[in-house]
Amino acid sequence: MTQDWPVAELDPVRRMRVIAAATPGVGYAEKLIPAPFNTVWEAASDLERELPRMVTDLRSFEITSARGERMTARARGRLGQRARFDVVLRPGWCMMQSRFLIGGMAAVPEAGGTRFAFLGGLRLPGIRLLDPVLRPAISPLALRPISRLEQRLRAR
Amino acid sequence: MAVMTGPPEIDPALVRAAQRGDRIAVADLMDALAPYVGRVCGPIALHDGPDAAQDALIAILKNLRGLRDPGAIYGWARAIAVREAVRVARKTARAAPADLADIPARGDPQLAADVRDVLARLTPEHRAVLVLRDLEGLDEQATSALLNVPAGTVRSRLFRARRSFRKAWLP
Repeated sequence: MTQDWPVAELDPVRRMRVIAAATPGVGYAEKLIPAPFNTVWEAASDLERELPRMVTDLRSFEITSARGERMTARARGRLGQRARFDVVLRPGWCMMQSRFLIGGMAAVPEAGGTRFAFLGGLRLPGIRLLDPVLRPAISPLALRPISRLEQRLRAR
Repeated sequence: MAVMTGPPEIDPALVRAAQRGDRIAVADLMDALAPYVGRVCGPIALHDGPDAAQDALIAILKNLRGLRDPGAIYGWARAIAVREAVRVARKTARAAPADLADIPARGDPQLAADVRDVLARLTPEHRAVLVLRDLEGLDEQATSALLNVPAGTVRSRLFRARRSFRKAWLP
């Protein structure tokens, strides 16, 4: 009889809101992109090509191994910094984590296009204490990668 | 009476990795808990279920370091999910509270047919009793402990509820 009980479902964007709210030191933004989900996600999930365009501090992002939805990647920054990232990538969802950085993207179809979420921030000891200051400072920055993606999609 | 089979086991190593701050592990743990939290929040918060499940998972993941025994994660998450679902549902609950006597008897065949209608006529607190008792299979004592209500009160209320329900449906 329990099969008839209502169940609350959480789509990828709601799940990214959970990660954003529960992770100290990150900025989070979301925006409705006026393009179909498949178009948006096809571009965003091409990490090697699109991520350095969305995150301009990044010179390159190279997938070094992949097993199903789990991957590892090597990132290079504009100033020569390098980092190894663990990545989980599936339709509508991407989480990336290095020793000091965390990133995430999520997308769901919505009336008028695609709701797209972006998360980025630092993983540092004690970051929890700085969260009240960092979060409002970083969150406006999280909107920029989404806007860059949107501009590129519009230019196509 | 069919009580739902338990949710899939969660690897204690995943919980510990998430507690240490591994954010990939935190996301994996969220994915593992989301169906269970959704089943608890859905019948209590109804159309506010996704908001309740979202808030419940935030509270669960934020407080993860406070969980000492990873093997107890479902019971611990359930308490948080019920609390958050009641809180969210209260915000939009109808002003006039339903009669607790509307709660049907556990296992009553009428409940299967009318579950959504029955749930909608109850207050969030009453829906929480129903979820804990029928969906989770908790006894009155465990239900009262989780909802912070005396066991005797839960027992007598359920007795009256069953009697009233039978009167209403089976005259």
